Amino acid sequence: MAQDVKGTPIVKGLGFNSFGIGTNACTVDIDEENDKILRIRPFHFDEHQTPEELNAWHLEARGSVFEPGFKTLISPLSLCYKKRVYSKNRIPYPLKRVDWDPNGERNPQNRGTSGYQRISWDEATDLIAAEIKRVHDLYGPASILCELDGHGETKFVHAPHGCQSRMFDLIGRYTLQTRQPDSWEGWYWGAKHIWGMDPLGQNSMQNNVIQDIAQNGDAVLFWGCDVETTPLGWGGYLASRICFWFTELGIKQIHISPDVNYTNAVHADYWIPVKPNTDAALQLAIAYTWITEGTYDQEYLDTHAIGFDNFKYYVLGGEDGIPKTPKWAEEICGVPSYTIKAFARYWAKHAVSIAHCNGGSYIRSCYAHEPARLEVALLGMQSLGKPGANQFKFIEWTLYGMETVTPLPPSSEIPNCSPAYRGWFRSFPESFIPKTMIPQAIMNPPVTWYGHIGAGFPREDQFEGPYTFPLEGNERLHMIWSDTPCWETCWNGGNEMQEALRHDSIEFIIVQHPWMENDCLFADIILPTNTKFETEDIGTDSDNGQWNVVYFERQAIKPRLDSKSDMEAVGEVAKKLEKYGGIYENLYERYMGGKTCEEYIEAGFMNTGAADKMTFDEFKEKQYYAFPTKEKWEELPVGLSQFYADPEGHPLSTPSGKLEYYSTRLAEQFPDDKERGPIPKWIDEGAGHQERQYLERGRKYPFLLVSNHPRWRVHANLDDVTWFREMEEYVKVTGPDGYKYEPVWVHPTDAGALGLETGDIVKIYNERGAVMGGVRVTERIRPGVVYQDHGSRVDSAVLGRGGLDRGGANNLIAPTPTTSTHAYGEVTSGFLVNVEKVDVFKLAEEYPEAFNRDYDPDCGLIASARIVEGE
Amino acid sequence: MGKVFVFDHAKCNGCRNCQIACKDEHVDNDWSPIAKPQPDTGQFWTRIEETVCGQVPKVKVSYVLHMCQHCDNAPCMAVAPDAVYKRDDGLVIIDPEKAKGCKELVESCPYGAIFWNEELALPQKCTGCAHLVDAGEIPHCVDVCPHEAIRFGDEEEFAEELAAAEVLCADRADDKPRVYYLNLPKRFLAGVVVDREADEVVIGAKVTAENLDTGEILVQETDDFGDFWFKKVDEAHWRLYVECEGYLTRVIEASTVEEDRNVGPVYLAHASLFQG
Repeated sequence: MAQDVKGTPIVKGLGFNSFGIGTNACTVDIDEENDKILRIRPFHFDEHQTPEELNAWHLEARGSVFEPGFKTLISPLSLCYKKRVYSKNRIPYPLKRVDWDPNGERNPQNRGTSGYQRISWDEATDLIAAEIKRVHDLYGPASILCELDGHGETKFVHAPHGCQSRMFDLIGRYTLQTRQPDSWEGWYWGAKHIWGMDPLGQNSMQNNVIQDIAQNGDAVLFWGCDVETTPLGWGGYLASRICFWFTELGIKQIHISPDVNYTNAVHADYWIPVKPNTDAALQLAIAYTWITEGTYDQEYLDTHAIGFDNFKYYVLGGEDGIPKTPKWAEEICGVPSYTIKAFARYWAKHAVSIAHCNGGSYIRSCYAHEPARLEVALLGMQSLGKPGANQFKFIEWTLYGMETVTPLPPSSEIPNCSPAYRGWFRSFPESFIPKTMIPQAIMNPPVTWYGHIGAGFPREDQFEGPYTFPLEGNERLHMIWSDTPCWETCWNGGNEMQEALRHDSIEFIIVQHPWMENDCLFADIILPTNTKFETEDIGTDSDNGQWNVVYFERQAIKPRLDSKSDMEAVGEVAKKLEKYGGIYENLYERYMGGKTCEEYIEAGFMNTGAADKMTFDEFKEKQYYAFPTKEKWEELPVGLSQFYADPEGHPLSTPSGKLEYYSTRLAEQFPDDKERGPIPKWIDEGAGHQERQYLERGRKYPFLLVSNHPRWRVHANLDDVTWFREMEEYVKVTGPDGYKYEPVWVHPTDAGALGLETGDIVKIYNERGAVMGGVRVTERIRPGVVYQDHGSRVDSAVLGRGGLDRGGANNLIAPTPTTSTHAYGEVTSGFLVNVEKVDVFKLAEEYPEAFNRDYDPDCGLIASARIVEGE
Repeated sequence: MGKVFVFDHAKCNGCRNCQIACKDEHVDNDWSPIAKPQPDTGQFWTRIEETVCGQVPKVKVSYVLHMCQHCDNAPCMAVAPDAVYKRDDGLVIIDPEKAKGCKELVESCPYGAIFWNEELALPQKCTGCAHLVDAGEIPHCVDVCPHEAIRFGDEEEFAEELAAAEVLCADRADDKPRVYYLNLPKRFLAGVVVDREADEVVIGAKVTAENLDTGEILVQETDDFGDFWFKKVDEAHWRLYVECEGYLTRVIEASTVEEDRNVGPVYLAHASLFQG
């Protein structure tokens, strides 16, 4: 019996920012005596600081006051975290693939199906060190690919991503998998060319926009934006609270998306159900309506834009003989032309802003640069920057350490603990490969592209190159070290990646991870790393929208099972490499950089303004320091109001300083690019993609798939949380075989035509393969479209091209080609599929091994399913 | 007086924080003598019920809290007066020692709020986190609600709001539940008015909804999108009259008895078409 019901409170940041930028501060009550986590609850800013000391902010509009409150607004994705720490899917000890013999047959073709046997840390690290040495000697360091991006836990000293790159930097570098701007594809590849807005292509001038809308706005458009879902891995429910406040103020919330997402479900005043990735047609028809009815601001465009006449000529049909009328758009996007016209007229008469949370088919489909550019084009036609008319985000309020990306009152400091960070630190080796091109780079080198590929690069970087892998004189890839084992279920065309991971050329794969899932099952050696509850660290939370805060993260419990932290795991390999001498000499000490963990934590603390307010010992005792709201935040210019008032004095970062309806740089650099030309357009199809229902492939695969940021996961994280999975129909659908399938939303009319009912098990498929799912017949999706969240754990029955996955990881069947010819983004939503009911018992007969794996419906796939020899 | 819970449906975003917090608090934690641990899955001492309302493109999702109602006339107490007790603050507690084997308690609760723990042979339910309340804290589900959609406190604190409150099951008011509900959902009746010939929505059309069961009359004008949307209406059969100058009046019938209703586009034809 526990006597002390409250326990000892400590602080943990439970976000998934992964690169030493923390979020989601929570208080965790622990039972020290019993080495146990009692509960997770909101973090309180006012425990040691008064509202005056915090310079507490509030907003006022229309007689109403909005206050953020003094505790963090955490979500179930944080609250559930005990289930992650104690998951049955935790990797219990180091593992070796049974049929991988470094001195004999390596059997790469068996990756994904072979079992694993327990080995010791000693043996595992010996094997890894020997492989590194062998690959170095035989092929050179650039034959080692490091996959080190992604959304693991947010830790600093015990960084989940990139510790191996710290080590490789000291012994001849490596080839880096560069992560393209996956959350911002359309903005990055498209919008930057019409309004600049480095680094992401979304409005980076958002200060005081919420207050402005509250006071001057009539409506906010949520264009594929899901406030109730997307921020949760990186923030909390302050955004949701703002939506409730907008409702109270009478600000109309208009949702434009194929699905009734979780925000639409609660907050929307109006829903325009557009087909996935057809927004560009809808946008062009809005422009057409405004142009033909004279309801746009030509005077503003005269002074704030270039190339509008070219755009207008295209919209009216001058260029291709097709006027972009609402009737034309209706055929493509499925929105009645009368609705398009009514919406266009409403917009023209009111002060309208557009809100985003990244994500969805709007921004992650083929040619996503076009709707992103067109959105800015429309905003410009209605005097972007005037009171109540901006673009803003409900997420990522301090991204890139920029004070101007928050629409809320900023804190006085965005704390930066980088001296504590031991993961990848933007060391950019000469040899790199865009993440979207990894399968081809492995199987069919050389590959070529433009730009460094990464969210932080400026617009002009897209024109640099071409770059090639492998570099001249270098070997192809022969080894992979991943601390990011979710490529299959998170990127573009996982079935192709399964082929690559089993390719003959790849002699060794090592994965370090806490949970036995996804790409782990292709590793030859697996190192079990632990969760942040098991280590001591430092953290920051600058995305809650309330106050930025730096905190000390006490260790909550001892390391579970036979695990080590990611930093420690790599350190063990460094120790083993030392015996080879030469460049490996003294490697562990060099890797550790001469400091202990506590010294790194202290260095992180000392790098923040908190060090001016308290000693390190005081910090450890109080466990946090919150930065007060910036003085005179009210005086920060609203959004793009300065550009609106004085475009010459406050230019955009485009070459002309104005909105570029005709991008001269695109015209100069890629004059023959028909998919991303100088003017934003409607693109039917191109070299890489034919994903339209009305074209040839649409007859065979008549449904468009929407795959959003998952409601009950953060990408591939949290799929094993028993407390979510038991919510039948909402989180998983239990099949007649007792397996919990990933839900597929089907509209009643389509369900009728396909003979489907709620609870049926289907396969969603195209020529790339099939993934299974459990049907939920619902009005939350428009007809002609099916919906399945992404990030479910892969559970393959048939691997590779044309494969079959029981888990419902639909990225497996997403297109492999990138956004467009010169845009290297992922296409992971808004692509064509067909849907067909399946008989799970027949499939079980056909694939007995896959359908009879060790499985726990509560948790789903469990580590023991793949372990054939252990203790 | 004593403690009450107040749930405001209009403030619930359906996040399930309350449901997960209950698991976080009670699974694998032994709060005896108030409660034994809750099994990892299968029990929902606090639960959000989700209902999808309406038809494309007029669809909402409704979220309603379900939990032990901590009734003053608790049916469970009537069945097992020795095993279930009411605290001075109004919270109803199943005594984990005395209730061992009392499976009949599960059936006794008309709200489905009592669950059977097979392993411990114990009926279990929400305790109002009495162990935390006794330590001066609030229930975990209340603490984590981002919108104060669930509140907990002394009855007098909420007196003003409770005047407009309802109970979860109107026909069970005699149980005297201590969980009060604000803004519980009702049906909606909606549609869009369209001039098909002109391919335009009709703005400012008068829509009259006649409740065929009660004779109640509701009137709206279509908005900038040609929409009408009667909210919080009864479960009833309706006759809709859609009128606009220059158009023939349309009369259609619709029902909100089974579910919320989007009648879809109501096409109006110009009166002139039918003249001469």
